[in-house]
Amino acid sequence: MSVESMQAIAAETGGTVTTSKKAVFLNVSREKVPEACAKVAAMPGYYHLSTITALDLGDQIAVLYHFWKGKTFAVVKTLVPKTDARIPSITPAVPAAVFYEAEVKDLMGIFFDGNPYMKGRFVLPDEYPTDAPAPLRREADPAKIRKMLKLE
Amino acid sequence: MSDNAEGAHYTESSAGLMEYSAESAMPFGPVHPSLKEPEYFKLILEGEKIVQVMPRIGYVHRGIERAAQDRTWVKNVYLVERICGICSFSHSLGYTQGVENLTQFEIPKRARYLRTVVHELERIHSHLLWLGLIGHWAGFDTLFMWIWKDREHSLDLLEAITGNRVNKSYSTIGGVRKDLPDGMAEKLKTEAGFIEKRLNYYDGLMKSEETFAIRTKGMGRINQEVTRRLSTVGPLLRCTGIPRDIRVEDPYAAYDEVVPEVMTSNDGDIASLVSIRLNEARDSCRMIKEAVDKMPSGDFKVNIPRAIPAGESMFHVEAPRGELFYYVKSAGGSTPERVKIRTSTMANILTGVEMLKGHTLADVPVVLTGMDPCFGCMDRIAVLDVSKGKEWSIGGEALRRYGIDYYSKRGGNK
Amino acid sequence: MGVASFKSGLTAWARKRSIWVFHVNAASCNGCDIEILAALTPKYDAERLGVELVPSPRHADVLLVTGTMNPLMKDRLKTVYDQMPEPRLVVAIGACALGGGVMRDCYNAGHGIDTVIPVDLYIPGCPPNPEGIIYGILKLVTGIPDKPEEARQVVS
Repeated sequence: MSVESMQAIAAETGGTVTTSKKAVFLNVSREKVPEACAKVAAMPGYYHLSTITALDLGDQIAVLYHFWKGKTFAVVKTLVPKTDARIPSITPAVPAAVFYEAEVKDLMGIFFDGNPYMKGRFVLPDEYPTDAPAPLRREADPAKIRKMLKLE
Repeated sequence: MSDNAEGAHYTESSAGLMEYSAESAMPFGPVHPSLKEPEYFKLILEGEKIVQVMPRIGYVHRGIERAAQDRTWVKNVYLVERICGICSFSHSLGYTQGVENLTQFEIPKRARYLRTVVHELERIHSHLLWLGLIGHWAGFDTLFMWIWKDREHSLDLLEAITGNRVNKSYSTIGGVRKDLPDGMAEKLKTEAGFIEKRLNYYDGLMKSEETFAIRTKGMGRINQEVTRRLSTVGPLLRCTGIPRDIRVEDPYAAYDEVVPEVMTSNDGDIASLVSIRLNEARDSCRMIKEAVDKMPSGDFKVNIPRAIPAGESMFHVEAPRGELFYYVKSAGGSTPERVKIRTSTMANILTGVEMLKGHTLADVPVVLTGMDPCFGCMDRIAVLDVSKGKEWSIGGEALRRYGIDYYSKRGGNK
Repeated sequence: MGVASFKSGLTAWARKRSIWVFHVNAASCNGCDIEILAALTPKYDAERLGVELVPSPRHADVLLVTGTMNPLMKDRLKTVYDQMPEPRLVVAIGACALGGGVMRDCYNAGHGIDTVIPVDLYIPGCPPNPEGIIYGILKLVTGIPDKPEEARQVVS
């Protein structure tokens, strides 16, 4: 895995590459995420999806797909607006992502089109109301959630 | 409606909203339980064989990632190590090293060696725990009792070094909390030698005990196709022949100088998991002795200021169960902006589901323990028998006794 | 209620020496659970005192609960408690079961189990030592009176 191969993928998917101490980031738009992830996973050598992280940046949510390629992390990064939080799922190409996407859906409120676990609750209790903000978003308050779930 | 032909289809039944198709390789989404109590695993039986498993996680979801944003960097060590009591040091190691990566400080060598020693002691305790539990679930209670008695030696060492048996809080941001007590170095070597001798004995015992072999050989077979597809981690990955270990691929602490040996097997069943974990525990004993011999003198800690510079860092460690991943983001303040934790059990649940398919109910405890789940996972299992149209719950201990009875009737356990 | 409800005389004498426990993990980190199991293994050996883990709450005298309460576990804990036949005792083990422990302000957990079921004995610690667990259970059980007059002196 090298920066050049990531740049080749960036050229095909219209993204940009940035590097940091231990990771190579591939920034793409959300429609290109399944294609980029499939290409990263298909790079020679063994691929391993470590996890999928979501960060609340205020108006947008950043979603990072962490792939471990044997010496450095190859991270596919995309930005999603909060008001329209949907991303196409990468599960057809990377089946290991099922649970990670389901967790992000529960905790950050992002809908992954094509993931079979999008109905109902995955890690949160069933009583968690659908109109309440997802717990890891900035607008969610743990004290209010505790009252809602009757944990006081 | 359902039909029991090959590739049966089963929709909208008394089990609630559910779709299931035998050909699909992907698990189906969560089910509204018709039983009043929530279940960890819903097993769908056709005849005697399990055809589909639906896990329901969220029982141990406590909201720790959100709570970590409200606590200071050092206080989070105490929070994060209580995610799991068995691999608690691995959690604190992943977190503290992830935070240290955001700073410019270099951790002193002695601290890295001390972390290695405690990390390997934890691996020994966790593998011995698992080996005892496999014996317990397979009906081999003597093995369980004897192994847990020897496990106490490693816990005594941990208590002497760190002050506590389970939640050690030994790793801190900048190094470790305290140095080795006097005389500990010699004691570590003698005790590691003792544990290694006992492990040799158990190795011979488990290979020669027929009833144990019946319950573990050929059970829970997986292969490289499954592990590649589902990004399995830990011994479950290595039992299919893929030699991946984070300590070797991406050395942290002192693993660049005290190098582990990566244990693999090609069988992919529970018996191979038993031998891999036993070998890893033996290798840990060897590494502890080597680390004590090579340990440099010096500081055990470097002082890092309370406000961690802004940035993001990814760090993973090889916990006893597999890769444990930490992502830490700092905004420059005294509390983290985001801490993302992916435990190794979460990565292996789908593989555990694949392991269960095709087995009977009597094999469930042993095969499920193969993926090294949390204790609570065995607590409550729902069983849906498609051919009979019946649904019922069963607890872990009851399932264990059912398995023992089943095999003793067939001439297995005596 | 609790210890005083145990009958006195021969049954109490027999019950004190044969304590069947059922263990429930209510969103625990498993630290307390492995210390409970360690209490049953040869070094600490609670089994010499008659303690045995049973597969069903219907066979149990004492319920051991670890972990903070999680909404998913609330109903299950109540159901288990209701299934236990009288006389029954409940022991809350570990700081999380007492009042949330280190998780006390988490959004999905963090209150003690005594808000859901009545508790007879609290064993603090994170996790408590197996010696502490055995000490606690013994203290609870030796409080069972041999004669009815002693019931008033019971401390739980």
